[in-house]
Formats: sequence, C-alpha cells, structure tokens
Amino acid sequence: MLWKDQYELGVPVIDAQHKELFRRVESFLQVLRSKDGWEAKVSKLNETLEFMKRYVVEHFRDEEQYQLSINYPGYEAHKQLHTGMVEYVLEVSKQYEQADDKEQLMQQFGGRLLAWLINHVAAEDQRIADYAIKSGVNGNGR
Amino acid sequence: MVDKLYKVFVDATHNVFNLMLNISDISDSPTEDFKFDEEIDIAIGIVGDLQGDVIYRFPSSTSLNMVQLMSGMQFDAVDVFVTSAISEIANIISGNVLNALSDSNVVCDILPPVQCKFDDNKEFEIRTSCYISTTIGDICLEIRLNRAS
Repeated sequence: MLWKDQYELGVPVIDAQHKELFRRVESFLQVLRSKDGWEAKVSKLNETLEFMKRYVVEHFRDEEQYQLSINYPGYEAHKQLHTGMVEYVLEVSKQYEQADDKEQLMQQFGGRLLAWLINHVAAEDQRIADYAIKSGVNGNGR
Repeated sequence: MVDKLYKVFVDATHNVFNLMLNISDISDSPTEDFKFDEEIDIAIGIVGDLQGDVIYRFPSSTSLNMVQLMSGMQFDAVDVFVTSAISEIANIISGNVLNALSDSNVVCDILPPVQCKFDDNKEFEIRTSCYISTTIGDICLEIRLNRAS
C-alpha cells in the first residue's frame, strides 16, 4: 500500500485529501504497470490524469489556506513547490494530447509522480505539522 | 570546501532515504573506484556560486529496490518509469543540498535531472566521490564543481 500512517499530519481535512491522493495515484500506478495492452489501460489513465489536474489544484489550495491560518513561515516556498507540480501536470497533459508514444510519456510521469508525492508528503508537508505542534496551534489533531 | 560538500551531500542523501524510504542504516566512505555492471547515471547540473554537476550513480539493483519500496510493487527491470523515479530522487537530494548550502551563504540552483554516461575525464577545481551503502544497496555520488569566477 502506498499510504503509510506516518504521513499523517494530524490535520483531518488535509490528511483525508492526502489519503485520497495516494489512493488515486496507487490505482493509477497499478493500471500503468499492469501487463495489459495500452488500449486496455488508456481510459483509466485518462481518467486519472483528468482527476490529477482538478484534485491537485483543489488540495494545494486547501493546504495553502491551512498554512496561512497558522502563519506557517515556509508558506511562500511551499507554494512554489505546489506551483511547480501543477505546471508539470499541465505540461504533461498537454504533451499527452500530442505524443506519439503516450505510454512512454505516462511511464515517465508515473515514476516522477511517485517519488515527488512521497517526498512532498513525507518531508515537506511534515514541516507544516512540526511547526503547528511546536507553536501550539489549536486544531492540529495530534 | 571539499569536506564540507562531501558532508552536505551525504547528510542530504541520508535524510531523503530516511524520510522517503524509511532507511536510516546508512554508511559512507570516500571512493575513487565505483564499478557496477549495470547502473543508471543521473546528472544534476549546478549553477550559481558553484558550477558543474553531480552524478548520481545508481546500480540497477539499488534502483529497483528503491522503486519497489516506494510503490509496494514488483519491478523486474530498469525502464523509463524506474529511471524517472530515480531521477526525481536525485533531484530531491540535490534540492536538500541547495538548502543546506544557502544556510552557509553559498547560493546555487539546480538544473533538471538528465540520464547520462559517466565521464571521468573532465577537470574540476572541487572534486570528490561518496560511496553510500544502505540496506537496499549502494550508490555513488560524483561531485564535480568549480567556483564561479
């Protein structure tokens, strides 16, 4: 399973979104890495790419609002990481429409997405939780 | 400067392996002789106060173990997915290094990871290699930098 309990920040709305993100990415990877032919995979992969475009933006917005609400000092730097990922997803989505070898592009996207997501949640987002705990911000469920 | 860079890269690698892969049992040593039959070499270009590149040399077995650990899925061969995931890890380690260097007022930026063929013939002012050993395999970092004039 992709999700690990150690990734929990203790902020219910953000944790729920992270779990949903991991669930979708795991499902995407299982289809992407299956031995099925491309035709059998394509509708599920298209669906996930569309989901990522919408959900990532929504989740990042909610997470940034939470950071502002607790006066997180790393807000600007964290927002830049989000912006970089949104730009990457949109760029891949654009390339995907024009690519001759769509599977190759999706495999490349999947590998980067996996590593990026784990690092972002396990390392970058944990800093937000550490700050919230250290500064005694109420509403953090820990 | 060489010792400082060596430590910064080792610490960043240790940190990333710990947080992303839950691996804390890591040892390091300087090396001049790192050879594997099959490996993926990922170059991260560095610009700014220091200029050059860092080559992350991942043996295939280490690469597969890392991706399996992250995904919980079985991988039999290094392909574009594995290379992309490993490239992103090299990118993340390098990003951590930049943050540590900026704390010492050394300001640099990194370029996107590129798969490369390790070339040992170039001359650099600052040069060191770290051999990092972990429970899921070894990696080598070749650090090759010049100070900006």
